[in-house]
Amino acid sequence: MSTRAPKVLVSEVSVTFESHGRSVLALDRISLQAHAGEFLCVVGPSGSGKSTLLRVLAGLLPQSAGDVRIEADRPGTPLTAMVFQEHALLPWRTVRDNVTFGLENRGVGRAERQARAREMLAMVGLTRFAQHYPHQLSGGMKQRVGIARALANDPEVLLMDEPLAALDAQTRTIMQEELLRIWATLGKTVVYVTHSLEEALLLGDRIVLLTARPGRVSQVYPVDLGRPRGLEVRGSPAYGALLEKIWSQLREEVVRAMAEDRGGEHA
Amino acid sequence: MRAFGRWLGEHWIGVGSPLLLLVAWEWASATGLLREAFFPRPSTIVIHLRHLAADGTLWGHGAMTLVRIGWAFALAAVLGVGVGLAMGLWRRLREGLDPVFAMIYPIPSVLFLPLVSFLVPPGEIALDVTTAVTSFFLIAFTTTHGVRQIDRLVVEAAVHYGARGWRLFATVLLPGALPFIFTGLRLGLGFALIVVVAVEIVSASRGLGTLLWLSWQILKVEDMYATFFVIALLGALLSYGLAALRTRLLPWVQDVAEQ
Repeated sequence: MSTRAPKVLVSEVSVTFESHGRSVLALDRISLQAHAGEFLCVVGPSGSGKSTLLRVLAGLLPQSAGDVRIEADRPGTPLTAMVFQEHALLPWRTVRDNVTFGLENRGVGRAERQARAREMLAMVGLTRFAQHYPHQLSGGMKQRVGIARALANDPEVLLMDEPLAALDAQTRTIMQEELLRIWATLGKTVVYVTHSLEEALLLGDRIVLLTARPGRVSQVYPVDLGRPRGLEVRGSPAYGALLEKIWSQLREEVVRAMAEDRGGEHA
Repeated sequence: MRAFGRWLGEHWIGVGSPLLLLVAWEWASATGLLREAFFPRPSTIVIHLRHLAADGTLWGHGAMTLVRIGWAFALAAVLGVGVGLAMGLWRRLREGLDPVFAMIYPIPSVLFLPLVSFLVPPGEIALDVTTAVTSFFLIAFTTTHGVRQIDRLVVEAAVHYGARGWRLFATVLLPGALPFIFTGLRLGLGFALIVVVAVEIVSASRGLGTLLWLSWQILKVEDMYATFFVIALLGALLSYGLAALRTRLLPWVQDVAEQ
């Protein structure tokens, strides 16, 4: 963390959904912040509203109450760019045209778009696949395109919604290392949602633990495992201790969520 | 030649099955299993087909039918895609038109001829419009579905990356619906042929349908079959032509690219 200036400020944000005539509280007065250049991980049991939180940050979903602020340093760049769980690429666009999609919508000139696409595709190692269509790529490659598409917009904050969850274990491991490399290169502020504690410990500067529905902030854990961090960190005693500590808390939430689901079935 | 050999290696079933049918027919007619007066041999039919082509009869009637299909299909495609897109985009329009379409669509198209003749000048225009009716519904249905089946997540991602209004339509909703639109066009073109022949039988003085019916009525059975073949061939050519166009225009569609 180079600076401690807050980049993302979430204060008392609640989200209520209307479903079958009943209102369901998905997020309950969430407050958190991410500093400039910080890699912030959000973990929690299924249904804790992790994705909902990201969608509020992305402006895709209005909060019912509370306030979201993202500090903009550079005018003209978007506040957020999201990497979606199921990649959500446009199947009818080539890899390159997917990467330049956001720039195109903002009216960036062709030459600059192409240069930007080349740069980003080089960064994610897909230069040779610029003219391919998404269906011709593997799952891991598609998600690389998703990452390149987000980074091409040079957002203030990069939002990632379980971007590696759909990948097989080996690809996921490779992609985690790639992510660390890219983050170290660009120094972006990242808000990263995952259900994997191991992933959060490998990637994050801090871990925000959400409770089962409605999602509240249960705890915030600093991850003092040093940087640069690689897979070998998993062997260190500090890693094991932190994993144990957070898991004991997360476990409670997961059990509570499961009990609530069962209760819901009977109701 | 080698490319053709490879093509044949992959498609021998598709090429072989109609050939096999013809050979079986030839054999059945030759041995008397089928009465030759009603089921002349394919080889005899081919001779009659050559006569019909040589004296220009076939070209005159065929051109007439093709022109009608062209107009009817163009009309059905433009209106069908337009209305289908609108129905896909606006729920209220869809809810309003769906029951009306559901009632009109199954009515045999030929029955529209008198109705259409009240609305537009009888004659060529009425024939074209009648031919377009069923195709229009097919194209509108598939287009509507094409818009509706687009992955919501993809639309959300596009909106997130700044696509709004016209750009959202042009870069996401229209291309997303295109595979279905093409399917609708292919079905619509096939139905245009089916209906145009029927309409010609009922009320035209020229056209392949007329030629076929006339040949039947004066018991020129060979000419009837010859026309039959031409219509069948025309149908196959139009259908495969549109399929080839789709492969070329939509290289990103998975099932097409993998073929």
